[in-house]
Amino acid sequence: MSAGGGRRVAITGVSGHWGSEIARKLARDPRVSYVVGIDTRPPAEPAGDIDFIEADLRSALISRLLPSTEVDTVVHCGILWYPEPGKPARSLHDFNVIGTLQLLAACERTPTLQRVVVRGSAAIYGCEGAAPLFFPESLAGEMPLRTRFQRDVSELEGYFENFARRHPQISSCMLRFQPEIGADLDAPLVRYLSLPAVPTQLGYDPRLQLLDADDATDALDAAVWSDIRGPVNVAPSGALSLSRILRMGGRPAIPVPHPLFGPAIERLGARLGVGPLIGDAVRLLRFGRGVDNTRMRRELGFEPRLSAVAAARELMTRLEGRRIGPPLHPGAALARLAGPGR
Amino acid sequence: MTPEEGPRARVSGDDSEALARFLREVRSGVEAGADPVTAAGNAVSSLPAVIRDAVEAIIRRLRGEYSEDEWGFDEDFAEAVFPLFRFLYDIWWRVDVSGVKNVPAHGRGLLVANHAGSLFPFDASMMTMAVMREHPLPRWPRFMVLDWAFVLPFLSAFMRRVGGVPASPHNATSLLERDELVMVFPEGVKGTGKPFSERYRLQRFGRGGFVEVALRTRSPIVPVAVVGSEEIYPKVADAPSVARAIGAPFVPITPTFPLLGPLGLVPLPSKWRIEFCEPIDLSEHPPEAADDRGLVFDISEQVRETIQAKVYENLVARGGAFL
Repeated sequence: MSAGGGRRVAITGVSGHWGSEIARKLARDPRVSYVVGIDTRPPAEPAGDIDFIEADLRSALISRLLPSTEVDTVVHCGILWYPEPGKPARSLHDFNVIGTLQLLAACERTPTLQRVVVRGSAAIYGCEGAAPLFFPESLAGEMPLRTRFQRDVSELEGYFENFARRHPQISSCMLRFQPEIGADLDAPLVRYLSLPAVPTQLGYDPRLQLLDADDATDALDAAVWSDIRGPVNVAPSGALSLSRILRMGGRPAIPVPHPLFGPAIERLGARLGVGPLIGDAVRLLRFGRGVDNTRMRRELGFEPRLSAVAAARELMTRLEGRRIGPPLHPGAALARLAGPGR
Repeated sequence: MTPEEGPRARVSGDDSEALARFLREVRSGVEAGADPVTAAGNAVSSLPAVIRDAVEAIIRRLRGEYSEDEWGFDEDFAEAVFPLFRFLYDIWWRVDVSGVKNVPAHGRGLLVANHAGSLFPFDASMMTMAVMREHPLPRWPRFMVLDWAFVLPFLSAFMRRVGGVPASPHNATSLLERDELVMVFPEGVKGTGKPFSERYRLQRFGRGGFVEVALRTRSPIVPVAVVGSEEIYPKVADAPSVARAIGAPFVPITPTFPLLGPLGLVPLPSKWRIEFCEPIDLSEHPPEAADDRGLVFDISEQVRETIQAKVYENLVARGGAFL
């Protein structure tokens, strides 16, 4: 894009998992000449040969810092699904909404800027019992806003849309990610699925579309190099039900009446380190959600390595070896019956 | 049910010896350190063929190795509940089917039918049975279900596994684009919620959304007339306050429900007839014709009149409602 020496990229949220993954990838890319990471704390392990700016996205300081870096691309990885350990869920609003707002204001003052990629969330569609089984991008505004995180995502997408409309010379893209899974990913949903026996909501069997973590990073990378504008769903093809995911891993489900599921998982979370499964995840595990990934495959030209079924199977196979406690498989009934005289 | 109860209940004599051998092998497999499902998989060869298939199916299920499509339709599950619906179809309601050849054997198609059966409409399941049992090339149709059913526990999971999809033009369009057979009931709640005195009088066909979907996807429309569904739960009154309290579209009161409690959920054994009419080919219209309100209403009205006429015809042909 820029003349001569390749792309200059700024990455926000670089100390988080997704920011550091994309920083590592771009730092190795010969088409990139300069990478700068922005976050409130330095990355735990250096993500290759990159600069680091310690700044809080929520402050107006970013508007003075960003233009001086003379970047042509901004990758915003500062939107979190879950609060950082020890922080209340309320802190997410400031972090996600105000952070994005300040960053977009800084982008307006950066004349060298040509491309903005926001790592957003498919949570904007919510989780409804009765809804399109595969949401296309155009239906985002039509769903009721039920949870705090969903409202936040919807609000920041509003700011983003406004920004994109006022600055047609900058190609801006909002990626709506489905929840990511991976055996090495430290996310509450992965920890939930690695429980020896998994609480589910009685009578519900959500359809899930969980994205493999490597595919998630590759999709973000593809979006940096593409010129696609507007919202793009990032999801694997297909969908499968939670009950089938659990069977793949040989994990028995413990059905809990759904009004008790939230409190139960919180208790369990404190004991087993499942972490907070906030409102969105509770609804996701009741109704599920599917999004249409046609735009990602056709216009962005990114094809995920794993389908929804393959991603779930890979995760559950790799988690198998890490089981804590005895196997509580439904087939354990078989073993008991097989015992003579018992 | 534990996995063995089914097969064990049916075996006797020599078979029970084979079963004991199977259980011994599973036992030794588990003691050797294999997990129970793997042990059962290895021991399965010692079983007689009939049981072997069943046990293998159960093991596949426990491993999550079964087909479930991205819409949540689970063919194994649908086949497992098939006998119950076959009983209703053959014995309880003695369904008489005509014109099943009008259902396209492959490719997309939109089956449009009248809707009735206040408490729990069975018309979609009986139409599915008709296609699965009478058609020379059986296929599983998908059906559009009232949104409310997808919010409820158990019912939502059940509906999805047997091919139900929340009713929305978007879902219907995507299913048809994948060349599926889709059943819609344009009367919706107005059809199921009408009092018994208005039985077999077709209600307004919504806003003709099904015609728009058919035009946009260039799918043929097959009108279907269903007779017998109105008598299964005759709705004599309504309980609007209860409906409001639980968020239901309506709560019917039938002669047996809620008077007899759960027994009131048993549908009355009326006599059914289902007629699949000549398909209406819409391929002469371009997809943009879906925006032509006048055309959409004309086709919608034409479909409604066809179904109404066929319903009356079949009512006369059926004679008594229960015998």
